[in-house]
Amino acid sequence: MATAILEQFINGTMMGSIYVLMALGMVLIYGVMHVLNFAHGVLFMVGGYIAHLFFFNLSGSYPVAILCSMVTLALIGMVLERLVFRSLRDNLRMQIVASLGLILIVQNGVVQLWGPHALQMRPASVDSLVRVGQLSFTVQHFVIIGVVVAAVTTLYLFLRYTRLGTAMRATSQHPEAAVVVGIDPNRVYTITFMIACALAGLGGALLGPLFLIFPQMGDAPMLKALSAIIIGGMGSVPGAIVGGLGIGILESMSTLVIPTDYRDTVVFGVLILMLLVRPWGIFGVRVRGEN
Amino acid sequence: MKATIVALVLLVAGALAPVIFAGQPYALYVLTLALCYAIPAIGLNLLYGYTGLVSLGHMGFAGVGAYTTAVLMKDVGLPFVPSLLAGAAAAGFVGLVVGIPCLRLRSHFFIVVTLAVGMILFTLFNNLDGLTGGAEGLPGIPRPQGFAIGPLEVEFRSLTGFYLLAFTVTTLIFAFQYVLVRSDFGRSLSSVRQDETLAAARGVNVFGHKLMAFVLSAAIAGVGGAMKVLFLRAAAPLSFELQESINLVLMLILGGAGYLIGPIIGAVIFVGLPEFLRIASEMRLIFFGFVLLLLARFAPRGVCGLAEAAYKKRFDREEAVGIAHS
Repeated sequence: MATAILEQFINGTMMGSIYVLMALGMVLIYGVMHVLNFAHGVLFMVGGYIAHLFFFNLSGSYPVAILCSMVTLALIGMVLERLVFRSLRDNLRMQIVASLGLILIVQNGVVQLWGPHALQMRPASVDSLVRVGQLSFTVQHFVIIGVVVAAVTTLYLFLRYTRLGTAMRATSQHPEAAVVVGIDPNRVYTITFMIACALAGLGGALLGPLFLIFPQMGDAPMLKALSAIIIGGMGSVPGAIVGGLGIGILESMSTLVIPTDYRDTVVFGVLILMLLVRPWGIFGVRVRGEN
Repeated sequence: MKATIVALVLLVAGALAPVIFAGQPYALYVLTLALCYAIPAIGLNLLYGYTGLVSLGHMGFAGVGAYTTAVLMKDVGLPFVPSLLAGAAAAGFVGLVVGIPCLRLRSHFFIVVTLAVGMILFTLFNNLDGLTGGAEGLPGIPRPQGFAIGPLEVEFRSLTGFYLLAFTVTTLIFAFQYVLVRSDFGRSLSSVRQDETLAAARGVNVFGHKLMAFVLSAAIAGVGGAMKVLFLRAAAPLSFELQESINLVLMLILGGAGYLIGPIIGAVIFVGLPEFLRIASEMRLIFFGFVLLLLARFAPRGVCGLAEAAYKKRFDREEAVGIAHS
């Protein structure tokens, strides 16, 4: 039993790290721009495909493939912010309509380009194993956890200590006041979207080798990340990290007790429970009249 | 007056569709399928168009109605009308159970919860093998029994017969929507959509109205789901997955949310247009994705909104010309 728990704990931490990447991206977009981007899951999936493309056809090096995936996604993010989301600011319902449109375009577009079948990519880190007691995990498990820790630390330092990061925080706190002190909000919005999309691309490139790369691979992580940012507190970066890891570990642990088929149900059940008890989340601040 | 004429023309055209498409069973098939989507779209219209709440899991409620009706007709052997009503009641009940806790949430959170509820319902359809047949679904659902009024024999086994049934049900649901929207209750719903705080200050029970709208909307979706599985003669979880819920929102936005006829126009365009233009099935969703982006940007009120704007523009010009002449 102890080994089973340890196994599910490490699996959960790995999946949780992926959810953290997604949740951070969505929380940045929400916190700075007040846009809820339901299309983040398909961007994650595109990240997997781009990594596959660079790994097999162009470079053969997995780290290069990851980097290229992040850069490509950042560019896609820039285009999306400029062309789609900028004109829909402060219009929640139409933003959601637009992100549903993006889901349809990207998901079916990928099927057109790469076909409906799942792709496989196996860098060395997937084939080599690490033994932990009686258990063995792929190196990729620990690569994912390590890269995510590094990415989160970098993001934290960026938000905390650079001028641009400070500008992002300022815009999220009070857009008008940010303009007063000379911050160009449009530039901040574009950069926020680029960072968020790059994080989604990183997630897809990291998870792709471990499982398969297929058009729906981003759906579940997007829904889990959405749950994570609500449980953690809308707009809260620490909340996204705690929420993402918590959900990953919770869903892995739940498989020890109940059938795997109901794993998602457990997560959404916890989400609904959380919304009933504490709708502003773990780290969120309660706003009067807004729950 | 003009609206009444339009409604009558549509009613007659709809009833005569089997004659109009006499030699084209496929066109009638597509039209029937469109009606099966129009019903849940009307349900969603009550919620989104009139009350201002977005639900991204509405086909989940349709699924509850569909499986209830299917099990009652197939395994219990109940006739059509009580089964359909039971399906609507079951979907409405699930709506009530979900609505009571969740409608207190702010708009963002509510949307996410509907998404989660849709996913949970899908998981249940897919895994409760004993009740729903699991991933394979329930095949062989019987079509409703026919009946005879004197010499007139009415049957629902043929395509034409089932089309007329679907048309009748859609008309009834449409009439229900019409009555509801024009009632005091409907006006209160609009006031909730426009300004919750003001509505509450004017004495509208905001939560009660939202809950009622949500329950009715879920029940109507249940009727639509039931009609869909009766038409396809099989209930499968894939008919009620997330993608289908997204499609439903798409139809409503396309037709025009907040217009009585919007959901029907949207459903007919969404189901019919790709067949008419012969767009390959893989390309149709990409096509509609771009349509959604354009609608969100340029025509948030859909086809009906565009038509209304065009009509008003022409009307205003005529009026201006009239004033100049007099």
